[in-house]
Amino acid sequence: MSAVAVSRVTETATATRRRPRNPRGRSGPVAIILQVLLFVMYGIPILWILLTSIKSSDEVIGTQASIIFTPTLDAYVRAFEGQDLWPALAQSLIISTSTMVLVLAVAIPCAYALARVGGRWVTIALALLIVLQMMPQTATVIPLFQIFGSWGLLDSTSGLVLADAALLTPFAIVLLRPFFRAVPIALEESASIDGAGIVRRFFSIVLPVARNGVATTATLVFLICWGEFLYAINFLLSPGTYPLSALLAQQVSAFGIDWPALMALSVITSIPILILFAATYRLLREGSRSAR
Amino acid sequence: MLGLVGGLVAAVALRRSGRLGGILLGLMVFVWALPPVVNGSVWKFLLGDAGLFNTMLHTVGLPSIPFLFDEHFALVSIALVNSWAIIPFNALVFRASILGIPDEIFEAAQIDGARPWQELRYVLLPAVRPTSLVLAVLTIVYAFRSFDFIYVMTYGGPGKATNTLPFLGYLQAFVRNDYGLGSSTAVLAAIFVLVLAIVYARSVRREELES
Repeated sequence: MSAVAVSRVTETATATRRRPRNPRGRSGPVAIILQVLLFVMYGIPILWILLTSIKSSDEVIGTQASIIFTPTLDAYVRAFEGQDLWPALAQSLIISTSTMVLVLAVAIPCAYALARVGGRWVTIALALLIVLQMMPQTATVIPLFQIFGSWGLLDSTSGLVLADAALLTPFAIVLLRPFFRAVPIALEESASIDGAGIVRRFFSIVLPVARNGVATTATLVFLICWGEFLYAINFLLSPGTYPLSALLAQQVSAFGIDWPALMALSVITSIPILILFAATYRLLREGSRSAR
Repeated sequence: MLGLVGGLVAAVALRRSGRLGGILLGLMVFVWALPPVVNGSVWKFLLGDAGLFNTMLHTVGLPSIPFLFDEHFALVSIALVNSWAIIPFNALVFRASILGIPDEIFEAAQIDGARPWQELRYVLLPAVRPTSLVLAVLTIVYAFRSFDFIYVMTYGGPGKATNTLPFLGYLQAFVRNDYGLGSSTAVLAAIFVLVLAIVYARSVRREELES
């Protein structure tokens, strides 16, 4: 998920949403074939996660492709009875939520400032942010590991939150900036004529108008954090404190994988995403444009 | 690159979307929003020795293919899964830019007697060119820094077949505990991304000046 690109979706979407969809449109045969193909491509993996998670371990050993089997919730029962699940779920929630809050606290003022002032330094700052948010995560994990080691932040949740927030703040700034730019300057000017100071203007004019952008950014930051496991696996030294994604990554790279258990864990990991997704799908698809 | 073309094709297919298309788009975006670990796991499962693909090959009488355990296949598999994962996103961006083309242009093309594929070739493709340029850079960067799928599906193996530069740096530092070597590999990877990022930043700035 690249930030700049998402902001690109939102910019274009802002410009085009007003137009109704091509009304005379009728899908041709080629389009229908393609749609079916895409359905298969994206439906089958999801279906297989679900199917495998309700099989018993024995059934997976022989052939993994069978469709006819006796469904069992065995894998889920084992997952919920196991020691790891609840702490991992709590850990995931804590990490994702606090990272989201921290990122927004830093990124919102930054993005607003970068949207309102111009000049050469802003251009340089923006270019730097783009470079930063494109950096391979594997390149930052090495120095961070050493810095955290000397700061005593290894194996602590707050250290991980800090690392995740540092990773995602450039992304969030680049993503938020167009939303703040889209707030008409005249709105702020008229408020300032009415005697509102900069703080008041920001909180009661700019922020409410740009709230969709903030919501989109918050959702994406949460989603990425939820799936992040490289930092988690390296900075948290004891597997007992792993979040869900790291637990999953650890199990899938082990030998002799218990597939139903793994798929059950995948489903459990994905359910919060599904809930969040259902709530914010329109935002993700269309980007901005509130009911103004 | 496959991800880019696939995204465009999907967007074109979804252009005149009815209800079905809406559901499909939702499904694709949902897959894109899933944690990469989940997607990686399911593909590791599907491509495994007794997985769905090999079982299907067996039923039609073909020998099984070691998708993830053969040097050549492993790299191709990783690349395919990577593009599979990026297609929904590219489709979303292309869709936005296709919806931005005024209807009048298509109407004019139809009055001039353009056949559907001509419409595609002479109206749609030129219109999405700037978008594809930017997406190309983003897709390359995405593929270059892809880490999650490699970690989950092959862990760089078999042998060194799926070691990408960033992943190699990670292995050197955290598996072989050679931080110096790992860091220098990471710097090389970072320089590569830097070059691409500059290209991207320039194109974004040009666009912003125009608007």
